[in-house]
Amino acid sequence: MNSAEVDRRLRHWANAKALPPADVQKWLALSELGRTRLLEIAENLKMHTGQFIAAFALLEEIAIREGQDVGEILACPPLRRVLTSAGSGPGRARALLDELRALRYPRLKHASERLAEAVAAIKLPLGIKIALPRDLASDEVRVEIVAHGSAEMEQLLACLTAKSSEIIGFAAMLGGVDGGLEVE
Amino acid sequence: MKFELDTVIIEESCRASALATRIVGGIPPAVQVSYVTDGRLAARPLLETHDPFGTGKRRMVVMPRRSSFLMGCPASSTQFACCAYLVLVLASNCPMDCSYCFLQEHLANNPGFQVYANYHDAFDELDRLARAGSGRIFRVGTGELADSLAFDSLTGISRDLVSYFSKHQTLMLELKTKTDEIDNLLALDPRGRTMVSWSLAPMRVFATSEHRTSPPQSRIKAARRVLDAGYQVGFHLDPLIAYPDAEQDYLELLENVFDAVSPKAIAFFSIGGLRMTPGLRSAARQRFPADPMLLGEEVLGEDGRYRTFTPLRLRLFSKLRERIAKARADLPIYLCMETASVHHRVFGAAPLTPAALGSRLVGG
Repeated sequence: MNSAEVDRRLRHWANAKALPPADVQKWLALSELGRTRLLEIAENLKMHTGQFIAAFALLEEIAIREGQDVGEILACPPLRRVLTSAGSGPGRARALLDELRALRYPRLKHASERLAEAVAAIKLPLGIKIALPRDLASDEVRVEIVAHGSAEMEQLLACLTAKSSEIIGFAAMLGGVDGGLEVE
Repeated sequence: MKFELDTVIIEESCRASALATRIVGGIPPAVQVSYVTDGRLAARPLLETHDPFGTGKRRMVVMPRRSSFLMGCPASSTQFACCAYLVLVLASNCPMDCSYCFLQEHLANNPGFQVYANYHDAFDELDRLARAGSGRIFRVGTGELADSLAFDSLTGISRDLVSYFSKHQTLMLELKTKTDEIDNLLALDPRGRTMVSWSLAPMRVFATSEHRTSPPQSRIKAARRVLDAGYQVGFHLDPLIAYPDAEQDYLELLENVFDAVSPKAIAFFSIGGLRMTPGLRSAARQRFPADPMLLGEEVLGEDGRYRTFTPLRLRLFSKLRERIAKARADLPIYLCMETASVHHRVFGAAPLTPAALGSRLVGG
C-alpha cells in the first residue's frame, strides 16, 4: 500500500467513524510507518471511535516517553500478538487497549498483578473479599464479609483471623513496603 | 537581570513608587515601558497569542495589590497534614517555566507577571500578625505564587524584607527559589530571621522540565553561600517525579546536597509527590507536549488529583526519608499535600498539628 493509498483509506475510515478533526490531523502527521500501522489496527480490529481515540492517546504518550515512533510501538510482540490473534474485532480491540495500558503504566500493571496474585494465593473463602483500590490510587484495603447466619459468620471470622498476617501484608505493600511488588 | 522581559507596564498610580523607579532604571533599553490606568487589565491573558500563559511571564505589570498580602498557603487543606505556612503575596507568576507548575492553572486568567508597588503595606499586616500571635512564631514565605528571588536584582525587594524580619523575633521569612540570585542577600544580616529554601530536582528533571531555572548544582552552591552569610537553608524535594530510576537520581541528589551543606546546618526538607488536577494536567500537556515527566504513572486519586500510584509514591518518600534520617536523625522532614495516613506510613507516627510542625520548622 503506497502513501497516497494509506492517506485515502485513513480519511475514509476517519470520515466513516466521525473521528474528530484534531485526531485526523495528528494521525496524518505521524510517520508513514505509524500512519500505516494505525490504519491497519483501526480497520482490522473494527475499532469504535472511542476505542481508537483512547488507543491513539496511549500510543502518543508511550511514543513520547520512550522516544519511539508509533509504528515501532505497534510492531512490538505483545501488540502484534493481539493483532494476529483470533476472535472478534471489538474483543481484540479491547485486548489491544489493555496491552497499551500495560505499556503506558508498566509498574502499576506489575504491582497490581503482584497484589492480585498475593490475594489469590491465600485462598479466602467466597464470603470474604479483599478489595484493593482502583489503580492503586490510595492506601486503602477494604475487607468485605458476607455471611448468612451466625455459624457462617463465625467460620469466616475465624478464617479472617487465621489469615490476618497476610492481609496486613497487603496493607503494607500498598504503603510502599515492597513485599514482592518490585515497583522500582 | 537574568530573565528577559518583553515589556513593563506600570499602573499610573504607581508611576512615582520606589519599586517602579528601580525597575525602570534597571531594565535594558530594549524593554518597552508603558503606563495604564488599571494594571489588572494588563495582567489578563492575551488570548490571541499562541501561549497566553507563557506570554504573561514576559509582561511585567507594576501595580498596587488591592487585597491582603498575607494569606494561608493555597495548598493547605483539612484533608492534608499541613505545616501552617503563611504566604506573603508580593508578586504573581514567575519568569521560569516548569512544565509541572500549578500556576499554569492557578493564574490562567491573570498570567501577567505582577509585582506590587505598595509592598510596604505588607509590613503593617505582618505587624498585626506578630501582635496577635502571643509569642507564637510564624513562618511566612513569598515563594508560592512567584519565585522569591527571580527578579530580585531588579526589584531589590529582598533587602526590605530581610531587614524587616531581622527586627521581628516572632516572624520567620522563607525565600523560596529555583535560582541562584542571592547577591542582594549576601550583603545583609538576617539575624536568624530569614531562611532561604531551594526546590531541588535531579538533572534529568531539570533538563526536561524546569525551563530557565538554575541547574541543581548551582542552587546547591548558592545554598552553601547563603548559609555562610548567616541564613538558614531548607530544601524542597517537590514535586518528586517517579520516572524510572528516580529513586537512584533523588538519592544522588541528596548526596550532592550533603556534600555541600552539612546536614546539621539544614533547617528542613519537604517532600511532595507530583500532583495535578485534571485541569493542570491538560494545560501542562498542551504547553509541553513532549515532556516525558508529564507522562508518568499517575492515577486519579480520591482528592481529584493525579498522583503516582500509591505503593511507588510511598516507597520513594520512605527511601528519601531514610536517607535524610541517616544523615541526621532529627532533621525535620515533612510531606506536602499528603494525608495523615500517608504521613503515618512514611514516618511511622501521626503527623504533628500544623502549628506544632510550623514551630518545629522554624526551630521552635
